[in-house]
Amino acid sequence: MKLAFRLRRTGLAAGVAVAMAGWALAPVPVAAHHSANSFDSTKVIELEGTVKEFQWTNPHTWIQLYVVDENGANVEWSIEGGSPGTLSRAGWRPSTFKSGTMVRIKVHPMKNGEAAGIFVGAQFPDGSSLGRW
Amino acid sequence: MTRGTVARRGAATLLKRGAIGLAVVAGLMTPAIGAAEDASGIDTAHLPGPAKWQDLPDWSGVWRETRNTIFDHATVQPPGASSGTPGAREFPPLTEKWEKVYAHNRELVSKGQFPDPITMCGVPAGFPRVFNLPDVYEFVVRPEESWLLSENGPNVMRIYTDGRDDPAKEDRWLTYTGDSVGYWDGDTLVFSTVAVKNEGTILDRTGLTLSDEMTSVTRMRKIADDLIEAELIITDPIALTEPWHVTVQFERLPDGARVYDYACAENNRNPVTDSGHTITLGPDGKPLDGSSGE
Repeated sequence: MKLAFRLRRTGLAAGVAVAMAGWALAPVPVAAHHSANSFDSTKVIELEGTVKEFQWTNPHTWIQLYVVDENGANVEWSIEGGSPGTLSRAGWRPSTFKSGTMVRIKVHPMKNGEAAGIFVGAQFPDGSSLGRW
Repeated sequence: MTRGTVARRGAATLLKRGAIGLAVVAGLMTPAIGAAEDASGIDTAHLPGPAKWQDLPDWSGVWRETRNTIFDHATVQPPGASSGTPGAREFPPLTEKWEKVYAHNRELVSKGQFPDPITMCGVPAGFPRVFNLPDVYEFVVRPEESWLLSENGPNVMRIYTDGRDDPAKEDRWLTYTGDSVGYWDGDTLVFSTVAVKNEGTILDRTGLTLSDEMTSVTRMRKIADDLIEAELIITDPIALTEPWHVTVQFERLPDGARVYDYACAENNRNPVTDSGHTITLGPDGKPLDGSSGE
């Protein structure tokens, strides 16, 4: 499945939000366990959706996020994060992304356009944030 | 007699007569490289035995590498590169043969077909890569033995300092972490590592590897309250034209930091295909990169 990204001026509504190409960002910090060749570390896209599940597992954590695409379809994104040990030392907890929570998340997307990315940062409804936001 | 005296005396006896001496590092005695019996340069047959408890340094706490997982930051190009930097490479004193090996590996890296062995959740990181892992470390020192414990993997490296020798050559077999014996030279842990199975392991994701003939001498000490430094002097008659010096530093995390389980196979959604591509699995377990990962 390849997703067509819809550019939006705001990221508050549900759906795939702003695509920002060419950002000069630090190296992908979470690919400790494998190469990140499948992901485009030069790009960041912003998603907004509802947390389905937070897989607090090794070697990587995964946020499963429901995002409504431009056609109104519910698309499940897989967002890869660091290991539980690394994240816990940075203040994350298994409860950081509770099921049902609306959240905005920035990711380095897969190069082939599939619904997956490497975690960059997140912002919660109360305005708090994690990572690079 | 203080243990330092014992260690210095022990160190003095360790230097092989006629061996090719290396430079003295920071006033500390450096074991000779090129000694006859043990390519690591330490006379492992005459190690001084265990230190006293009260003379051991305090290496407690949780530590992590101060820099990214490029193995040799002194020679990496472009400077400051990470393993994911396109075209990144280091410049060890490689033999012509091993320069070709490295070139081939880097070509595979550029194609996304040089998988990191640890991605497959099967084998240890191996030595010396065990000094170059993400996540955190613990260093446990006792008079007779010390342990390097890495969260990532996890990996365990044992360093015997009870005076024992390496196993006799006819009794050795290659293992990923090899066999390490050494001694305490004051506050410095000095040890040789031999019998390392390097085939199937890497030093970092630029494609850098060594051969099964590799041996090493490591000097490891705390250079500041929150900083441990390990200097590795690596020899490899197949891959290197001369001893290769690599320095790695570890910084101490704030008190209270914890080390956690790292069960690599628990939920590995990044398997490696037969073609060497590392792929990503979706929530249904199907590859998101396409069925072949190509």
